[in-house]
Amino acid sequence: MKLASRSTQNPGIPTASMADIAFLLIIFFMVTISFEVDKTQVVLPKTAIRLEVPKKAAYISITENGQIRVSSGEEISVPVSGPEDVLSFAAGVVAMDPTKEFVLKADHDVPYRYIDRVIDALKQAKARTIFLLSLQETVDDKGSEGG
Amino acid sequence: MKLKKDRVNEEIPTSSMADIAFLLIIYFMVTTTFAATRGLDFALPKDDDNPPQVEKEESVLIEIQAGGRLVVDTKPMQLDAILEYLKPKLARNPMKPVIIRPLEGSFYGHMVDVFDELRQAKDKMGFEVKNISIPTQREIDQFWY
Repeated sequence: MKLASRSTQNPGIPTASMADIAFLLIIFFMVTISFEVDKTQVVLPKTAIRLEVPKKAAYISITENGQIRVSSGEEISVPVSGPEDVLSFAAGVVAMDPTKEFVLKADHDVPYRYIDRVIDALKQAKARTIFLLSLQETVDDKGSEGG
Repeated sequence: MKLKKDRVNEEIPTSSMADIAFLLIIYFMVTTTFAATRGLDFALPKDDDNPPQVEKEESVLIEIQAGGRLVVDTKPMQLDAILEYLKPKLARNPMKPVIIRPLEGSFYGHMVDVFDELRQAKDKMGFEVKNISIPTQREIDQFWY
């Protein structure tokens, strides 16, 4: 008697959908990628209230030792020598677009007197809104502050 | 005699598609940076030749001393007690200015902590601190003395 031939199972892993998955991931990364105008490494302060910073806002970054870099939001940031240069930079930006927002990206351990001079320069340049860049404060952060 | 015809494969070769796609993924993963794009907004006073004259006594003054110690209207206070202190005062006059004044020896993080606390008044206590002011040293020298 002849037995019915057994159906052979394909031992390979099906890879036909691999490209689809990969392309989905590519699309995700392409959509989420944002080219930062300022790559200064700072430890941002943490806040509970956080609003979205407008795209193309001008950036002013201040490191812990008071080094300042500025960017009008269009190109990569450049270092400036001090708050006097921030005033001339901000005045130029405001002259081009009076409603331009400024983003202050400062280390949480910067002595406040540096920030004071930068904010003063922005006020004198007639800037309207500043965003203080921050990270999300979590419940753990509050716990560690209290204890 | 039977002729043997060469069969041409009609399909597009897609076996290398996944390799190309994964290379692109690696490129995007390496170049992507999850930038912090959120923060506290802080509206500066509008260009005004006549700034409103406010007596120091009519406002609430939060001084940030060296090391982050807080002194509110000459009374030392913890950060989480400020809103309770402000609530009755702002209930009488919602536009009462609240002035944050970081002193020498304080850090940016301290100012942001206080500012964030005041901005959270609505969520925590159900009232809003509408008039927050952070004067710069030049303004203090110019207008206060």
